Amino acid sequence: MDLQTEVLIIGGGATGAGISRDLALRGIPSLLVEKDDFTSGASGRNQGLLHSGARYAVTDPEAARECITENRILRRIAPHCIEDTGGLFVSLPEDGHEYRANFIRACGVAGIDTEPLSAREALSMEPKLSPLMIGAVQVPDGAIDPFTLVVENARDAESRGARFLLHTEVTGLIREGLRISGARVKDRITGEEFTIAASQVINATGAWANEILSLAGLSIGIALSKGSMLITNTRLSERVINRCRPPASGDIIVPNDTVSILGTTSLRAEDLENHAVTPEEVSFLVDELSRMIPAIKGERFTRAYAGVRPLVQTAQAGDDREISRGFALIDHQSRDGLEGLITITGGKLITYRLMAEKTADFICARMGLHVPCLTHLQPLPGAGRGHTFQDRLLRLRHQIPAFRRELLCDCELVPREAVDAILREGKVRELQDILHRTRLAKGTCQGGFCVYRLLGVLNERRKEEGLGGSNRILKGFLEERWKGIRPVLWGTSLKEEELIESIYKGLFNLTPEEAATADGGHP
Amino acid sequence: MKRWDLIVIGTGLAGLTAARTAVEMGAKVLVIGRGMGSLTLFGNTIDVLGEIPPGADMATGVADWIAVHPDHPYARMGWSGISEALNAFRELFPSPYTFDSVGRGNSLVPTGAGTMRPTYLLPITMTAGAGMSAADTLIIGLRGFKDFQGDTVSLDLQCRGVNLSLPRYGLEGLTALALARLMDEGPFRESLGEAIRRQMAGEKRIGLPAVLGLKAPADVLKTLETITGAKVFEIPMLPPSIPGTRIFHRFREFLIAKGATFLLGNPVIGADVKEGRCEGITLQNPPLLTVYRAERYILATGRFLGGGIQADRERISEPLFHLPVLQPESRGEWFRERFFQPEAHPIHRAGIVTDAELRPVDAGGRVILKNVRAAGSILAHHQMIEEHSHEGIDIATGYLAVRRALAS
Ligand SMILES: Cc1cc2nc3c(=O)[nH]c(=O)nc-3n(C[C@H](O)[C@H](O)[C@H](O)COP(=O)(O)OP(=O)(O)OC[C@H]3O[C@@H](n4cnc5c(N)ncnc54)[C@H](O)[C@@H]3O)c2cc1C
Ligand SMILES: Cc1cc2nc3c(=O)[nH]c(=O)nc-3n(C[C@H](O)[C@H](O)[C@H](O)COP(=O)(O)OP(=O)(O)OC[C@H]3O[C@@H](n4cnc5c(N)ncnc54)[C@H](O)[C@@H]3O)c2cc1C
Repeated sequence: MDLQTEVLIIGGGATGAGISRDLALRGIPSLLVEKDDFTSGASGRNQGLLHSGARYAVTDPEAARECITENRILRRIAPHCIEDTGGLFVSLPEDGHEYRANFIRACGVAGIDTEPLSAREALSMEPKLSPLMIGAVQVPDGAIDPFTLVVENARDAESRGARFLLHTEVTGLIREGLRISGARVKDRITGEEFTIAASQVINATGAWANEILSLAGLSIGIALSKGSMLITNTRLSERVINRCRPPASGDIIVPNDTVSILGTTSLRAEDLENHAVTPEEVSFLVDELSRMIPAIKGERFTRAYAGVRPLVQTAQAGDDREISRGFALIDHQSRDGLEGLITITGGKLITYRLMAEKTADFICARMGLHVPCLTHLQPLPGAGRGHTFQDRLLRLRHQIPAFRRELLCDCELVPREAVDAILREGKVRELQDILHRTRLAKGTCQGGFCVYRLLGVLNERRKEEGLGGSNRILKGFLEERWKGIRPVLWGTSLKEEELIESIYKGLFNLTPEEAATADGGHP
Repeated sequence: MKRWDLIVIGTGLAGLTAARTAVEMGAKVLVIGRGMGSLTLFGNTIDVLGEIPPGADMATGVADWIAVHPDHPYARMGWSGISEALNAFRELFPSPYTFDSVGRGNSLVPTGAGTMRPTYLLPITMTAGAGMSAADTLIIGLRGFKDFQGDTVSLDLQCRGVNLSLPRYGLEGLTALALARLMDEGPFRESLGEAIRRQMAGEKRIGLPAVLGLKAPADVLKTLETITGAKVFEIPMLPPSIPGTRIFHRFREFLIAKGATFLLGNPVIGADVKEGRCEGITLQNPPLLTVYRAERYILATGRFLGGGIQADRERISEPLFHLPVLQPESRGEWFRERFFQPEAHPIHRAGIVTDAELRPVDAGGRVILKNVRAAGSILAHHQMIEEHSHEGIDIATGYLAVRRALAS
């Protein structure tokens, strides 16, 4: 099988999906390839902050202005992916008043609304804040659901003619003289290899940008920085809680639906695929953030995860945080004399639309087309449909008839029907794909119970298709789950873990080797 | 204030065994439990040591194994002590709901994940599973009962499976407990039996989720076997466990009949320790704190799940008597990198170290509290999950702890 397209997009993060939608709205055909699933990269491993820009106001005014502009646009086009929580910048005694004054001034310059609050006012809004705080500033931060955002961008693009190949990895670039004319790819599930010819190739692989460029013997200056985050079992605050001091590690707590996300650390990353969260990072986040919300010390954590930021190097700098958070759009024709290839990397989740706009503008210019961008005006199709716990509860009550209300996950209210619908679409190829599209395995038990049930649903299908059952899927899930949960095993999480191990290793006797079959090993 | 001969803290199988051993020896016993214990979560069959290959003689197998595991709790009593305790357990379950081994060793029983698990003593409702083969077995799932996925079981065991729906009974969303209660009623088991019979295609054995009633499971079994003409067996599944709940109820009924006192639901929050002895324990019973005193105490509070030991970000501790807990150096070493590994996670071997009489000792081997003994999974030096030894350790050490305590 060999394919041909006008524009080939490599990478199914927010940027790639955003470009695909932008091009589709302009009537330009494209094909996107992603080596795993949507949101497998940084787009599924971030803190879910809808930046107001305040975080960067003092250190990077340009980034701050970009953020607030996109913040306002996203509230219009993707209201269902956003919770308008508002945010506070909290000053502790050691932070002093001086930085706070600077901060308010800089926000003003960037066009970010602020409202200074006394300690008492802030405490009455967020009672879990440390009583030692000396004051706070309110800003228009929010929470964003990147999973829905990316999948919705892709769905809309697809309905307008764009195409996607998931679990398909670019393994080579096809070069004809001074021109890139397509890519060699490999289906990671079937192992099939084929080529895709294209007039334009967009490298939207975020932190992997240099991996793709190396296929053409090129590279750009990006530093990789790993950031780790912790998920709490309950939601700690109504608003985003930031520390009012120069940007540093361990300075933010973002509420997300039923949980809060603590972040982040910043460590030089060497290996792109190794996102192990270390015990030191976990301890650091707990200790540092409990200064703002003391209850964090006794909180139960359900998961740890990490993402890798590609920081575009604009200047020499020692500390990664000093490097610009802005994005880079690189035309390899003018930079390296290689036609047909551009790279878009860096930036933030919330600037994905702007990055897509600039990229599509560039492609249009190359193709000699004059079609304006529409993504800042055209809402995503699902706008109006809520995704919060409350929304799920309401839908369950009103829209799903009682006899169909089989809940696969009791903590996160995921009905079996939701999974059946995803399976009917026929796009998912792995258990993990289903987990990306629902809240299964994101609650307190982290899938300990619901994945057994999900496996039952999958096996029902396998049976219909004449396939055998596979405990390998279950074991694979438990192994993945382990990576996220191992760093936070103490207190109550440790109890839950004894339960899960007792079930799967004890009662069900799942072992590292293949499980024994009924006819094996006994008379 | 009433004074007891023995107070047992913990209502898992270790605590219940200890209490029962004590009443059999004529002691006045108080049993204190925060909840119903892990029996009601996972209790099914009696695992003693899954590492002994199915079919091999258990007595020699365990004896040989102990020789190379001298720190293991089993080394305190040897096979003779273990089998004495197991026999005492079996006596508590007279016909028709008995516990037996199949042959002289372990057998493999099917599980809710479609795997086979080695175990030693099986309740009568599970024995037919031990002899199953893929060709002669039909697995029955119940549509809408989500904690037993019939297709997972049958596909992985490679036998035929059917998901029944019994619309008249509205099974959607039922819990295991509700199903077991339905089974206790005659009409339901008959409808189920008929429904199964209609699905059969010459199979000689029928596997069902382990929900065959709480009151008279052997009767349910008999009804189903009579209607279907096949051997019927229960398959252990996700918690909560109905077979384990039966074990719990049987112990409780027996203990109460023999005059033991049960206090369930409130936590023990402290111990009064003087000169190397426990003088009393404090129970929180809001708004009161009550102190109970006895000559001897059995600490059978389990591991993390039971609350016997607990961990903060730094250390593992024993909250009641503040006994030293044997444990890895730092949190980074508690767990291995992968979930499934040939070697158990180091934290599983953590626990209370004791002398030969199960009295907790300090790092120098000195007895800490003369009248307190530890029993069950709280002990160090075992890995009950991987070893498949949970019930065996509970029964053997619960039994031994009381024999030694009352002998002193
Ligand atoms: C710790 C952390 C916290 C963050 N917090 C926030 C936040 O709160 N708010 C915010 O706005 N931004 C945040 N960001 C930034 C944001 O997550 C990223 O900027 C954004 O997700 C980048 O999207 P992307 O599509 O460019 O890259 P990615 O999402 O990384 O997508 C790249 C994709 O390319 C795929 N790919 C790689 N190689 C190949 C190949 N050979 N073939 C096919 N596909 C390939 C990858 O699998 C991946 O899916 C955070 C980032 C990190 C790391
Ligand atoms: C906005 C937002 C909201 C979220 N809300 C929730 C929530 O409510 N509940 C919840 O449970 N999760 C939540 N998550 C986390 C999410 O479920 C995933 O954990 C996250 O997207 C990372 O994806 P993953 O677990 O599939 O990554 P995987 O690649 O499967 O990684 C899983 C874990 O393994 C670690 N890891 C990766 N590679 C290695 C390695 N080589 N060695 C050791 N460890 C490794 C990772 O750090 C991570 O902890 C949220 C994430 C975001 C961005």
